[in-house]
Amino acid sequence: MRKLLVAVAAAALALSACSSEGGGGSDGNVTITFWDNNGGPAREPIYKELISRFEAANPTIKVEYVGIPSASVQQKYDTAIAGGETPDVGGVTTSYLAHLVGQEALAPLDDRINGGALKDKLLPSLVETVRQTAPDGKLYIVPSSANMDIIWYRTDWFEDAGLEAPKTWDEFITTATKLTDTAANKYGYTIRGGAGSVFQLITEAYAYSGVDTFFKDGKSTLNDPANAELVDRVADLYKKATPEADVNNSFTQMIAQFTGGSVAMMHHNLGSYSDVTKALGDKVAAMPLPVGPSGKRTVVPNPTDGFAVFKNSEHQDAAWKFAEFLTSAESNSYWNEKVGQIPANTDVRGAAWIDQAAHVKMALGVLEDPTTVLVPAPVYLPQYSSITKTDSEPQYQKVLLGELSGQQFLDEMANKLTEAQKEWEDRK
Amino acid sequence: MTETLTRPPVDTPPPPRPTKRRRRAVAEEPGKPWMIHVPLVLYLLFTLIPFYWMLVFAVRPSGSTQLVPWPISLEHFDTVWNDIGFGIFFYNSVVMGLGVLVFVTILSVMGGYALARFKFRGQRVFLLAMLCSQFIPGAMMLIPLFVIFKGLGLLNSLTGLIIAEVAFQLPLSLILMSGFIRNISVELEEAAMVDGCSRLRAFFAVVLPQLKPALVAVGSFAFIGAWNQFLFALMFATKQDKFTLPVGLSYTLGEFNTDFGALAAGGVVAAVPVVLVFAVVQRFLVQGLSAGAVKG
Repeated sequence: MRKLLVAVAAAALALSACSSEGGGGSDGNVTITFWDNNGGPAREPIYKELISRFEAANPTIKVEYVGIPSASVQQKYDTAIAGGETPDVGGVTTSYLAHLVGQEALAPLDDRINGGALKDKLLPSLVETVRQTAPDGKLYIVPSSANMDIIWYRTDWFEDAGLEAPKTWDEFITTATKLTDTAANKYGYTIRGGAGSVFQLITEAYAYSGVDTFFKDGKSTLNDPANAELVDRVADLYKKATPEADVNNSFTQMIAQFTGGSVAMMHHNLGSYSDVTKALGDKVAAMPLPVGPSGKRTVVPNPTDGFAVFKNSEHQDAAWKFAEFLTSAESNSYWNEKVGQIPANTDVRGAAWIDQAAHVKMALGVLEDPTTVLVPAPVYLPQYSSITKTDSEPQYQKVLLGELSGQQFLDEMANKLTEAQKEWEDRK
Repeated sequence: MTETLTRPPVDTPPPPRPTKRRRRAVAEEPGKPWMIHVPLVLYLLFTLIPFYWMLVFAVRPSGSTQLVPWPISLEHFDTVWNDIGFGIFFYNSVVMGLGVLVFVTILSVMGGYALARFKFRGQRVFLLAMLCSQFIPGAMMLIPLFVIFKGLGLLNSLTGLIIAEVAFQLPLSLILMSGFIRNISVELEEAAMVDGCSRLRAFFAVVLPQLKPALVAVGSFAFIGAWNQFLFALMFATKQDKFTLPVGLSYTLGEFNTDFGALAAGGVVAAVPVVLVFAVVQRFLVQGLSAGAVKG
């Protein structure tokens, strides 16, 4: 028995000895690993192209691309951090940035950004969003791309009905009702009632109410009566101007309904650009979320995408070089053009493709408009995602089914958020 | 009770002798075809329609909404196999599936035999521990296993995946297998040993041939369990060429864009081997499961 144990131990030692991976060779070449946080066939070729450009410009650095399925990326990072096996560079969005910073996994990038070519070249609103996400106000990712909530609509349906894209919520609701013909299986709007619903609902509520801050004197403004009014008005549309199946709609079903041709308007974000245009071609266009009775345009920004350098990396300089390259005007322009999102690098503003990409131009216009007020959601709260998803999504379904009022629903969520915010302030 | 017994039998007329017509009716009753076939067909449809749906999505060109796809297009298969890398994922899954099958089968036969044929101290405790290990969800073992595998250099290798999966599947297979072996009568083995066989020879000559259904049941479940393993495969592989099929499938689901055609084609690629395995072994499977599960 003892012999066997010794043999096993020896084998284990031998195995672990073989595995010590050498990133830096004696010839000065290094290999860095890059994790794409939204890996998949759609984005892999874009990154592969950028990597080959980077390697051509930096012959001593090799980049190994790993695409992580977006649904599991947070768990994958957590496991990697716990096991000490993090990549050198990784795509990270502000939605789980605070979590990674909390585990002290990332290297702050302020000095690197300010000491290099990216100084003053990044959209201030995005930099601010990133800064606010970290408990210490440092930049742990270099922002590369942003997304915005918009409403995709069928230009052909609007033309046939002689309607124009609605600018206010009142117009929006009448338009949705007008475009509905339940007998012909045509609906004016589709509500996201399943996974991811509440995040969208919050952006709608603030767009409607014009409330311009998420917390006032430490209390969540989410249950503002004007926000509740919007929730009730949307719930009122359910089944009247939207398909009945909406109560369980996640992104996939929602988009299937819209691209399948039975729905006139869908609230999502720029990210679905390739899906909707692939299916509907030029019969689809984007409009900003309508404005409420206050007349103010308030936007709850989407998570900002960026690149992080991991603290554990043995090649932080090379890693930063790659992150900086990905955010340079040329790469940033190339990437965002392909995925149809808002580029973070302000030098891209003048690129020719932005003039042609009406939806990006529209979104940039909203972000640049001095009257637009950004109301960042407190994604830095560790409980934020469990409060808005696990706790609230089933409750919202009750609202849609008429079992709960909008005010009750928001009160409940606001209380939890206020409490979480207080805890967070106390710990700071 | 007694009343009916004391009553003279003449009071109740004897049951009429079955006439020809009546006999036919009795014979027909259980066999009314629609009573069996209609529910079965409904059930079959219920089970098959999702598969049909997947198949339709996989073989019709993107953008098409036909319910009966014609002409059949293989573009999605080309995409998943060549562009997304399902060729490699498939290979990895096959290697992993076969590895798990081989180890789980061999180890469970060995352990199962010991549990069924020998009495040793701590046998019950051992069995109980095996059973209890089934209550621990894989997700809880993730980080400890990750750290151990990192130390052993087993991350990013199919060997590591096989070891993890075998460890998780072995307890149940072991219990199942010992149940099978207990059902094979000891007398046969003893007879062989009286005739001069060693215990080992008796095992190979007498026990193993009778274990065929058990081997098929345990082996095919091991294979399918490994084939569907997602969590470990996702977490332990940090190189794309070590992804397995389930990871590859989730890889086709982007945050913002999902290519349904590719996803469905990938699903077909992942489902076909499992369907084939079941088609081949289903005869043994039913036999094997009932033999082991109930009596074990």
